[in-house]
Amino acid sequence: MTRERPELMDLTEHLFELDVYRSRGGYDAARKALGMPPVAVLAEVRDADLKGRGGAGFPAGVKWGFIPRDGEKPVYLCVNADEGEPGAFKDRWLMTHDPHLLLEGIIITAYAVGAHDGFIYVRGEYEAAALRLDRAIDEARAAGFLGEGIFGTKFGLEVMVHRGAGAYICGEETALLESLEGKRGEPRLKPPFPASVGLFRCPTIINNVETVSNVPRILRDGAEAFRELGRPGDGGTRLFSVSGAVVKPGLYEVPVGAPMKDLIFQHAGGLPPGRTLKAVIPGGLSAPVLRADEIDLPLDGDSLFRAGSMIGAGAVIVIDDGTSMLDILGIMTRFYAHESCGQCTPCRIGTSWMHKTFTRLASGNGNMEDIDEIARVASAIKGRSLCPLGDAAALPILALVTKFRTDLGSRVEEARVRSGSW
Amino acid sequence: MVKIRIDHRLLEAAEGSTLLKAALAAGIDVPHFCYHPAFEPEGSCRMCLVEIDGAPKLELACSTKVKDGMNVLTSSPKVMEARKEVLEFLLAEHPLDCPICDKAGECRLQDYYERYGRFNARFRETKEKRDKIVPIGKRLLLDRERCILCTRCVRFLREVTGTGELGVFERGARTEIGPYEDRRIDNAYSGNLAEICPVGAITDTDFRFKTRAWFLERGASICPHCGRGCNIDIEFRPEPDRQDPGCKILRVRARENAAVNGHWICDIGRYGHPYWTENRSRFVLMNKGAKTTRLSWDKVLIVLSEKIKGLGPRGKGGRLGLILNSFLSNEELYLIGRIFTEAIDLGNAWFADPKLQEADRLLLTAERSPNLKGARELGFESRPPDLEEIAKRIEVLLVFGSGLRAAFSDGEVRKALDRVPAKFLFAAHTGPEDSAYDFLLPAALIAEKPGSLTNTLGLVQEFRPVWRPPGEARPEWEVLGDLARELGSGEAWTDLSIVREAMAREYPFFRKGHE
Amino acid sequence: MSHGFAPVVLDEVRAVAARYPRREAALLPVLRVLQRVSGALGRAEEELAAELLGLEPVRVREAVTFYSLFRQKPAGRHIIQVCINLSCSMAGAGRSLAGLQTRLGIGPGETTSDGRFTLLTVECLGNCDRAPCLMVDEDDHGRVQEEQLDEILRRYP
Repeated sequence: MTRERPELMDLTEHLFELDVYRSRGGYDAARKALGMPPVAVLAEVRDADLKGRGGAGFPAGVKWGFIPRDGEKPVYLCVNADEGEPGAFKDRWLMTHDPHLLLEGIIITAYAVGAHDGFIYVRGEYEAAALRLDRAIDEARAAGFLGEGIFGTKFGLEVMVHRGAGAYICGEETALLESLEGKRGEPRLKPPFPASVGLFRCPTIINNVETVSNVPRILRDGAEAFRELGRPGDGGTRLFSVSGAVVKPGLYEVPVGAPMKDLIFQHAGGLPPGRTLKAVIPGGLSAPVLRADEIDLPLDGDSLFRAGSMIGAGAVIVIDDGTSMLDILGIMTRFYAHESCGQCTPCRIGTSWMHKTFTRLASGNGNMEDIDEIARVASAIKGRSLCPLGDAAALPILALVTKFRTDLGSRVEEARVRSGSW
Repeated sequence: MVKIRIDHRLLEAAEGSTLLKAALAAGIDVPHFCYHPAFEPEGSCRMCLVEIDGAPKLELACSTKVKDGMNVLTSSPKVMEARKEVLEFLLAEHPLDCPICDKAGECRLQDYYERYGRFNARFRETKEKRDKIVPIGKRLLLDRERCILCTRCVRFLREVTGTGELGVFERGARTEIGPYEDRRIDNAYSGNLAEICPVGAITDTDFRFKTRAWFLERGASICPHCGRGCNIDIEFRPEPDRQDPGCKILRVRARENAAVNGHWICDIGRYGHPYWTENRSRFVLMNKGAKTTRLSWDKVLIVLSEKIKGLGPRGKGGRLGLILNSFLSNEELYLIGRIFTEAIDLGNAWFADPKLQEADRLLLTAERSPNLKGARELGFESRPPDLEEIAKRIEVLLVFGSGLRAAFSDGEVRKALDRVPAKFLFAAHTGPEDSAYDFLLPAALIAEKPGSLTNTLGLVQEFRPVWRPPGEARPEWEVLGDLARELGSGEAWTDLSIVREAMAREYPFFRKGHE
Repeated sequence: MSHGFAPVVLDEVRAVAARYPRREAALLPVLRVLQRVSGALGRAEEELAAELLGLEPVRVREAVTFYSLFRQKPAGRHIIQVCINLSCSMAGAGRSLAGLQTRLGIGPGETTSDGRFTLLTVECLGNCDRAPCLMVDEDDHGRVQEEQLDEILRRYP
């Protein structure tokens, strides 16, 4: 039984139980997909204009097309459930509430690319999500949706949950592979890309949880329906984790390109009484901040990029006038210094440098020159590091310093006065 | 081959090669730390960033493959800015140790900083404090403050020796390199680590604090300690007239040769430099009873030639014995063959060489002498000395080198030599049984004379003198030429090239080009 | 060979290792099990993991020291992780932290003298809509108010 439903999020209770999931049409899309040639499944997803939902925004169907079709090496599918971007909790919700949707998406994706082993790399802190996934995998296997000969076809698939151990960098796809291979999560040079040299040097597809979770409905409703929910070249809906100074923090699904203002002021109920909007971080901590007057934007990757920020993990953090931008700067410098893997010179030393300067500043022992110094160090990191974490540290800090200089200035002054070092 | 432009120069590069390789081959300096030609690109130091036409960001030269039509700038303003800033990052957490650091004068960080750096450092924070004298191997110390985490050492131990003693611990700015617990690096190639470390993080205690790099002179030579014939550079502080280096040889380093030793040498070769400096024989000596007197070369050669001539035509019944070794050069072995087959029956030539040992999977051969293959090519059998036979039959014994010492006890040697009427030792090193010989002739070693050696794979490699032999020591080939003249040989072996030509004429093996 | 670990533990880690196409890929989950069993990852745990997975011990320690959830020194019976990233800070993580410090008498990174609690400050736990949040062991606690701290602590003997 299929039911047309434009939403990704299904709020049915106990959806994590197989029979509830099946009563909602679950696994029908997978059955349909496995009755098609894999290239047709791939074409459907490619035509749907499904962009990666992990942060990089690369079109999923195009990425799948890079897998060699007749290679000798096994193909692997990895689902990136490391969700470490501060502000993001959408994947957690999906895995905890709707694990079968992810599994169904995995079955279809694996079938399309020719993978027979799937790994879900779940961050170490997401115990509840991992347990739900384990249980769902057991249920699916018992029902014949995993293992040998799925739906009576020749296609077989094993899926397992692999737990991370506390490293934000493992959300970067090549660091994830290194970690999955039992090593330090140190990103690899690209090229070669994982589609050619991935897990155990075999062709590998790595997709975000939300990306894969969208695949069943693309197969169910067709590429065109999915495409039309969004914008040209950027189909479907997106889940936005909204937090910070809003009345109703939570997970909201809107079409790609929906107005940011709607998300904040309608869905999330706007700011609490007595507070004014100061800034919005639109894509998680690594997305450059927008001033209150800059949020008249559609929520899609291109628009946010042109506005000097990014849609990233779709984590919208709302900041009100009561928050010190200096505190935010400190959270940024601390976070990236802590999470830098240490491999490359600019990020390893630069993130630590910025945080040391900030710490000195915050204790009252600095001035605006130090804020400028932090920005200068960020510029020196920008574009020079081995993986995107360098820019993830540099760009938000640069935006913060550029856009809130006065604000920072008064906080720096306050710190100096407080410490008595003026 | 593809055509690319680097700094407006049109270059050809092999397909699949990298920009860095192409640039270095064309003599263009693209600074780098973590790249090493023996390993796959690492890409972590970020020093080799270059500007490529059409690319939005600077790209790494070490890992970017050449593509036909690529247009690259290695010293544009953007690139110079990037270099300044990468250097500034490195210096930010690097101790100002130059005054006490061995690497000064040959340190990449220093060199690049001088060439590309910014001269007002802007880091005002507190540097990370780390351990500075961490023993990681028999002769290796790690200074964690100086380490720039290029990971060359870690990769060397994983990919070359396969022993993997070092690892990378912690994360971010706390990252550090070290061994596991009390495990230490004790493989036979450990000395290469101090060489490949681009800064003074890994230092060699054999060299530590002995001198400054800029005081060193360097000469190319061949390592004499096994049959591989690794190419080396011997580094020393010269005495005023380059004679008698004494304990002035300070270091032996690897000289790259793709056909022989690649980028490495083993520790036996690296730390074997006392071979040149310790216990050298310097003077021609005569032992008569308890008295030892100095002789001139002329005198001792007359004595030797008279003794030989006194044995009659062709050493009458094999009474002239030669103990040779495979440390002698191709030319020397050839000359010995020429001179003594003319004078005697070479059935009494033995070889006193070090015992065969285990070869390793890398460079070290089973034979621990450099010219065993050369000796074979020249027709020698290299059978070990038979002391009994020598004592019985030999009336005039000429021993080359110190090989007898290694194979037999002092007592055994003396016992045999006692029964030999006339015995001559022509060796570079003195030893306890010297007094058992009638005449001691001081010999020169490789690096003190010209010549060639044939390595275990049959590659002939030339070597030249780097310094003069100590005291009155002379190259064997020269002395042999003089001896030949004394013996009335028609040939005049006055120049090594004459020996070479004769050798090549007689032995086609030596006709092909030398390295 | 057993390094002093009970057979049931060895069985568990072997079973984990067997699920992977290559043994060494099981390192993180194996370390997780051993840390649960021993409380911390010391030399014995490292050497066991190394032996079972065909790795050099140095590679094991590389992972132990890289990942934040692994610890080399034992902690308290219960680990409290207080998120101090952006949304939680704005929602009052500082108050939760201060409240816990007062009640437990320890600061971040420390363990109570009776060995009951270790207090840690951590980066984003993915619970931002229920800020300020903290985890105690594997349990999530969201919208933590000062008044609730005693009750939360009581649940962990």
